[in-house]
Amino acid sequence: MHSTLKLTVSHAPFWHNGSSISSKSRNILLASLLAVIPGCYQYGSAAVGVVTLSIASAILWELLINFISRRPISVGDGNAALIGMMFAMMLPATTPWWAVVTGTFFAVVIGKEIFGGIGANPFNPAVLAMTILMLSWGDLFDFNAALLNYQFDFNSVYPLVLSKSFGAPAVESLPLMDLLQGKQIGGIGSTFGIGLILGGVYLMLRGVIRWEISISFLAGIFAAALCFNILNPELYAGPGFHLLTGYTLIGAFFLATEDSSSPVNFIPMLIYGLLGGALTVLIRNIGTHIDGVLYAILIINLVNPIVDKIRPKALGKGV
Amino acid sequence: MIKRSFFGLVKPKLQYEIIDEAQAEPVSIKTSKQIMLYIDQSVDPSLENAGENAGNVLLKTGDQVKTGQKIAMTDDAADYLLSSQSGQISKISTFVGIMGKNYTSVTIDVDGESSQNVDEGFKNVCQAPSLENAREFLTGLPGQPDFNVFFDSEKPVKAIVVLGVDDDLLSTTNQYFVKNNIIAIKTGVDLLCKITGISNAILIVPQHLEQVAGSSGAVVKTVDSEYPSAHPELIMRHILASEDGESKSKSGIAFFSAEAVCAIGAAYNTGKLFLEKLVTFVSKDGNKQLVSVPIGTPLQDILNEFNETLNDGDRVILGGPMQGISVFSADYPVLPDTDTIIIQDKNQITERSDIACINCGECVRVCPANIQVNQLIRFLEAGQYEEAADQNDLFSCIECGFCSYVCESRIPVFQHIKLAKHTLESMKAAEESNA
Ligand code: SF4
Ligand code: SF4
Repeated sequence: MHSTLKLTVSHAPFWHNGSSISSKSRNILLASLLAVIPGCYQYGSAAVGVVTLSIASAILWELLINFISRRPISVGDGNAALIGMMFAMMLPATTPWWAVVTGTFFAVVIGKEIFGGIGANPFNPAVLAMTILMLSWGDLFDFNAALLNYQFDFNSVYPLVLSKSFGAPAVESLPLMDLLQGKQIGGIGSTFGIGLILGGVYLMLRGVIRWEISISFLAGIFAAALCFNILNPELYAGPGFHLLTGYTLIGAFFLATEDSSSPVNFIPMLIYGLLGGALTVLIRNIGTHIDGVLYAILIINLVNPIVDKIRPKALGKGV
Repeated sequence: MIKRSFFGLVKPKLQYEIIDEAQAEPVSIKTSKQIMLYIDQSVDPSLENAGENAGNVLLKTGDQVKTGQKIAMTDDAADYLLSSQSGQISKISTFVGIMGKNYTSVTIDVDGESSQNVDEGFKNVCQAPSLENAREFLTGLPGQPDFNVFFDSEKPVKAIVVLGVDDDLLSTTNQYFVKNNIIAIKTGVDLLCKITGISNAILIVPQHLEQVAGSSGAVVKTVDSEYPSAHPELIMRHILASEDGESKSKSGIAFFSAEAVCAIGAAYNTGKLFLEKLVTFVSKDGNKQLVSVPIGTPLQDILNEFNETLNDGDRVILGGPMQGISVFSADYPVLPDTDTIIIQDKNQITERSDIACINCGECVRVCPANIQVNQLIRFLEAGQYEEAADQNDLFSCIECGFCSYVCESRIPVFQHIKLAKHTLESMKAAEESNA
């Protein structure tokens, strides 16, 4: 019995499917590049600057918190970088550096770390930060003003402002194909529809994000926009327009699907997504805000714990 | 190791091992110089020296044992093993195993005359099969048949279920018996029915063995090939649900492995106890081989047979990859319930982490018991076991280990669950003994 051999002893199971948080973050970052690279192409080096600063500062904030709270360094899992990337994707390319750094502070520190770090945040950190910034410095995120100095070969008015101020006929001139190809102004990584959709499909197929949420979010937008459109086609733009403008696509594939703040059961996921989509259109069409995606996502984040209670009974309990 | 597939959209699937059409015959492992038996109980070590004075201790160092002799520490003990060899007891010690269980380890130096030196105890009673003498002599057979369920007057047994399926991955032991020995299973089942007076016996087999099993004339049901559908708890709930409707949870069901049933049948027919365990041995390079080993053989002997060497950091697993246990030393013996032995190289081991749950929900989607593991783990990590049991269905868990297998944070979820159950159960036991 006195062998010197030291075997590894641990609890079952002895297999693991190989998934990890870092590979999840890597995959989402990779998919987001499909939208971010065309965005950078469109807006030039300023956009590259915003994206890199955002990612770098997000990582540094998390590092700082790790340091202050004397917890193991957690930036290796890529989650901070991911938050930085998500945040940058929503920003206009002209965002000043201090706004980017403040934003990632809100996202990483207020949005995630003070709740206890990864997995404990009730809201999507990037969305929370973006909303705080929009409420504090609204002018920075008025896309029309922010991107005034750019020359585009397409109509350079933020499409959602058009529809809000002038009704549906004003946006009829915008061909959906153009919107899909990113021929609209907006956040760095939020306008290139094809890239976002490809990235989203990739993530859904690989099981990195839950397809139920993305699909039902889009379905919610489609259904709600269609209802409005049928009721008053003069005033409200059609579903195609809503699906391809503002933060809809990035919201459906990258923001609403954030793990910690979304449900995990099948029916709750559908409710969560549908509700998010419907709220988005409601806010856009009736509310005072220009885009509703961010608020809608915060609201569904809030109801997530409640809807996620709808679930099958555990084995041996009840029928 | 089965990894997540590239397309992770669908629920992850783990397929049970399917026994090969051209299955190689099991390799017989030679009788070793020593065998070791771990008996699930403990005797006060001070009694060991007390020798004859302590009247209830049956065995002591230096005693001769015969092949097939019952090895129990006290004469009223329900737990015993059967010695697969004859020889002399060289050492008796106690140790504490997984989850605080006490074991007595009995080492027997084999004298090489096992075939002549046979214990006659069972032979004397085998002409008159009964539940009592089955419990008295046969619990130590390979597959570890449990006869105690028939003696529980509060929970009368309504059905005997013979598992021709293997509960954990990689194992093919029970399938082997269904495939090659269906007649012996039938004999064993008939015998069990006779001594218990229960006529309702069901044979559970994987789909690919349905035809073979059907030829025996027994009542056959199939389970599908995805883990953990062959788990006894799920078999009870899903397959037998139609059998007796609502009362299913209250009525007792006696589970026997196909291997045990064969051994029981053979024991009564021949008067001899068959004490070789059929084990699937999985080497570091993933090769699987059925081996037939005398119960009590130390793992080292099997490793030697296959020229497998162990290095620091390797892992030796008794049982399957999902539910087995890993052991500290290659001296650990093959026991009646050891279906699989897996050797993992150091670099095949995925490290577990202490990162918090990220709420990805993978565990929830695979859990066969519909437990909200993402919620449960938060309570378990905080040590709030009672809340976990009350609000988060801790005791619905059937201990399949699937949640740990898929966990993206690599949390040892299953270990937390086992620890919580163990803690609550020992608290309850302590309360009862104080009351
Ligand atoms: S071990 Fe995990 S997956 Fe299996 S039943 Fe228990 S909680 Fe569910
Ligand atoms: S698989 Fe792990 S990380 Fe994911 S929800 Fe379950 S316990 Fe949490």
